Amino acid sequence: MTVVDTTPPPPLPVRDRTAAAERAWGGLSPMLTRLAAEKASGVLVRERGTLYLAEGRVVHAESPLAPGLDTLLTAYGTLTAEAWRDAVARAGDRHGAAQLLLSGGQLAEGALQLCHLGALYDAAYFALAPSSAPGRFRYGVAHRLGPVLPVPVAALERETLRRRDLLHSIWPDPRADSAPLARTRTTAVPKLTVRQQILLERIDGTRTAADLARELGRQAFHTLVDVRRLASAGLVAPLKAEADTGPTEAEADAGPAEAETGPPTPGITAGTAETTAPHTTARTADTTDPHVTERIRYTTDPHITLLKRLRDALEAL
Amino acid sequence: MPGIDECLLEAMRLPGARGAALVDWTSGLALGTVGESPGGDHETTAAEAAELARLAAEHGAFAAADPGGERPPVEDLIVSNRDSYHLLRFVDTPFDSSVFLHLWLSRAEGNLALARIRLGEMAARLVLG
Repeated sequence: MTVVDTTPPPPLPVRDRTAAAERAWGGLSPMLTRLAAEKASGVLVRERGTLYLAEGRVVHAESPLAPGLDTLLTAYGTLTAEAWRDAVARAGDRHGAAQLLLSGGQLAEGALQLCHLGALYDAAYFALAPSSAPGRFRYGVAHRLGPVLPVPVAALERETLRRRDLLHSIWPDPRADSAPLARTRTTAVPKLTVRQQILLERIDGTRTAADLARELGRQAFHTLVDVRRLASAGLVAPLKAEADTGPTEAEADAGPAEAETGPPTPGITAGTAETTAPHTTARTADTTDPHVTERIRYTTDPHITLLKRLRDALEAL
Repeated sequence: MPGIDECLLEAMRLPGARGAALVDWTSGLALGTVGESPGGDHETTAAEAAELARLAAEHGAFAAADPGGERPPVEDLIVSNRDSYHLLRFVDTPFDSSVFLHLWLSRAEGNLALARIRLGEMAARLVLG
């Protein structure tokens, strides 16, 4: 019997902790991160918005919650609605609508870039919100607008996170972002800016922040900033606040500190149970309580967003 | 007709220019940047400059007597320190927006008066062509 002199086993691979942390984070949408890495072109349809990619960079974004570039440009007469429609109708593979508008002299390049970037980041803020359904990507689809100024995915995700923090720092209650808004009576009215005054005058108990943004031809995120400022000043409140107060407070209380203490508190259990229930029925029936569905959809509760991200990541595998 | 990048590069040709950016003061987003920034990070500089611009734009003390509708109430903002000037020029756009041009000038080489006039012209050309 020969003795085989085995070589010592190779050293075990050591995990690079920083790289692992970055991989585990995976961005706001793991799918988007992957598409950016493979320099994909096409359209990513997510629950609350759509991102158009060209060679891995975001060239356009749309969301039903944010006014489109056309609304922003036509609201103040920068461009007539006919000129916009005409450019979109004539747009083809070789010349996008943006290029046609510029070559027709209807719009200065700087104005178009400024407005387009504003609209892109605005719609992307909503498109990248935690979703209850996985995104879908279709390769090779381009927007009729054509390229203006492409934005790297990483920059867009960073900005979206920064915007969430900004809104949270102004007023931590996110319900005012999506619910119909009503004015509240206060005795000490702070001095408002002209923009806030115009916004406040239109708040009538039926319109949401997204409706107001579209009506005023303002970016939706700018409107959310003003709405949260007005809410923190006590001038505006989301409607049906009373019915929502209980569970939301329970969700808000369920912070990381409680999660470490072991068995989940009733607040957490109730919160997660509610998330799974409406998702299965939301699309088929209107019998689900709309407030719950609405609240879950726009929630920023860390437990729920973590679960959603986990599910998105698993489904994206 | 210049785009954002051309406009910022033009600003960098001013004597003593160290860095320039186009910033949205409601969100603090840098829509375009060129050159250096004071802390080495354009995004942080943009967010901090946006905070200052917002205060100047929203407080009545600095507004012109004629409100002028939705136009920016302030034209520009100058901050000076021992080694540099910061010049913030509000851009009046034909659509709803809240942006300003931010120019960082070296104090030794920069000409503040000239930069102020030129930046105003660039802001107008950026949106009107």
